[in-house]
Amino acid sequence: MGLRILSEQERQKKIDDKYSAIIAQLNGVSKKFISSNAPSLEDINLEVYQEDFLSILGSSGCGKTTLLKMMCGLIKPTSGKINWPTSNFQNSVENPANLSFVFQEPNLLPWMNVYDNIKLPLKIYKENSYKADEEIYDIINLVGLKGFEEYYPRQLSGGMSMRVSIARALVTQPKVLLMDEPFSALDETRRFDLSQEILKIKKQKKLTVIYVTHSIYESVFLSNRIYVMQSNPGKVFEEFDFSNQEKLENYRFTPQFFEQTKIVSDSLKRAQNDQ
Amino acid sequence: MINKKLHSLLVIVLLFAIWEFAFHLFDLKWYLLPPPSMIFVSISNNAFLLFLSLLTTLKIAILALGLSVIISSSFAIIFYFSKFIEKSMTPITVILQVTPIIAIAPLISIWVDDSEVATLICAFLVAFFPLLANTIAGLKSTEKNHLELVRLYGASKIQILRYVVIPNASPYFLSGLKISSGLALIGAIVGEFVIGPISGHSGLAYRIIESGYQLDIPKMFGAVFLISLSGIILFNIVRLISYLVLRKWHSSYQQID
Repeated sequence: MGLRILSEQERQKKIDDKYSAIIAQLNGVSKKFISSNAPSLEDINLEVYQEDFLSILGSSGCGKTTLLKMMCGLIKPTSGKINWPTSNFQNSVENPANLSFVFQEPNLLPWMNVYDNIKLPLKIYKENSYKADEEIYDIINLVGLKGFEEYYPRQLSGGMSMRVSIARALVTQPKVLLMDEPFSALDETRRFDLSQEILKIKKQKKLTVIYVTHSIYESVFLSNRIYVMQSNPGKVFEEFDFSNQEKLENYRFTPQFFEQTKIVSDSLKRAQNDQ
Repeated sequence: MINKKLHSLLVIVLLFAIWEFAFHLFDLKWYLLPPPSMIFVSISNNAFLLFLSLLTTLKIAILALGLSVIISSSFAIIFYFSKFIEKSMTPITVILQVTPIIAIAPLISIWVDDSEVATLICAFLVAFFPLLANTIAGLKSTEKNHLELVRLYGASKIQILRYVVIPNASPYFLSGLKISSGLALIGAIVGEFVIGPISGHSGLAYRIIESGYQLDIPKMFGAVFLISLSGIILFNIVRLISYLVLRKWHSSYQQID
């Protein structure tokens, strides 16, 4: 069975079946900006299940970033509810340790070296123990930054900076990782390498990832579920699920990958025509 | 780097040589434009007097600079947190800034008995505003992304200041400090000119007035020369601080290979 669009009934059934595994649930979330012309969102309903790699796919300006920032409490929704049943997080940053955010740009603090940048979240939590120090080095090794601890952001390439950014997100041992087009500024090869590493880390750490992107290939390659968005106002257009599908070795070059890319690509095209 | 320094020193030496040479060649009057040799002789003859004056003036300038650092940073941080206070204080700061110090100095000398304190106030008033304006600009220029990052981890206001806002403002603050270091010296000199000799040991401005009375033009040049020297000292202290704080991360110290 290949990739398929979920109907409303199927979606409801799935929510009932997997209710205990729901990490985050958005009910009729809307956002209207009064003073700026940032894209608005309308009636977003979506679920995130445990250990999902969920992609939110849409063209530029459909409010993907806004959606992600609402999920972590940086932006408050105008109406609707965002629930994180497994934590006490509700429309605000109350239990931040469970959740980390990787920004579109590396967003490193230029006045701190790599080590201090990665340590920053722990410093904010006032964790300064020896154990914390060990964890930082574990993470540094995990993302392949060994030997770069003393470097300052201005000395790093784009790919390296992104690794630091990912390390900083992982250092708090989050359960959920929110990523906002993290690799969009990188070249093709780097982007692929980092994507694979993210998959590896996700598996190893049993992470749930919510990934915002405008790249069809990236979303199909990485995720098991995809929400296709349409813009003006931003809302969910279609939902895809291929969780129960084995991804083959060299998945990127299989006919299966191309077939799925085409399906998602068609959906995105329909979303754009349907405005 | 050493070559560069040697180069600029050579230019100064050359300039003095031309001056000296021109003096003898065109037979200029020493009481109008004394040659460098005469100025240096005068400085060494009055070394003790001039040196103590130099210390007085430098002390006033450095104290004024220190005061403006403390007060302008606290003001800037208060303004950063409260738009209301900033809005209500801005007219006062602007009025004080646009009124020439030379116009306020007589008033200050009437209000404050001690001439040292009065001069210090003059120097402080001149040095304060560029530093305040630059620091506020620096605090406000914090990137939204950086703020979101620390807010995401639930940072307190103090933590936000410490990890993001203040480091971000430091280059602005330091370039304000460069401007203020020169202005503090100007304030110290102008203040003494208007207010009169500084109690204790008078500063370099009074040495200029004194030499004028005595028609000792080489000594006058000597005093001017020492004022420039103290300006250079102050500027370089600030430059060193700036280098130490920013060299590792700021793009202005980026090494281009």
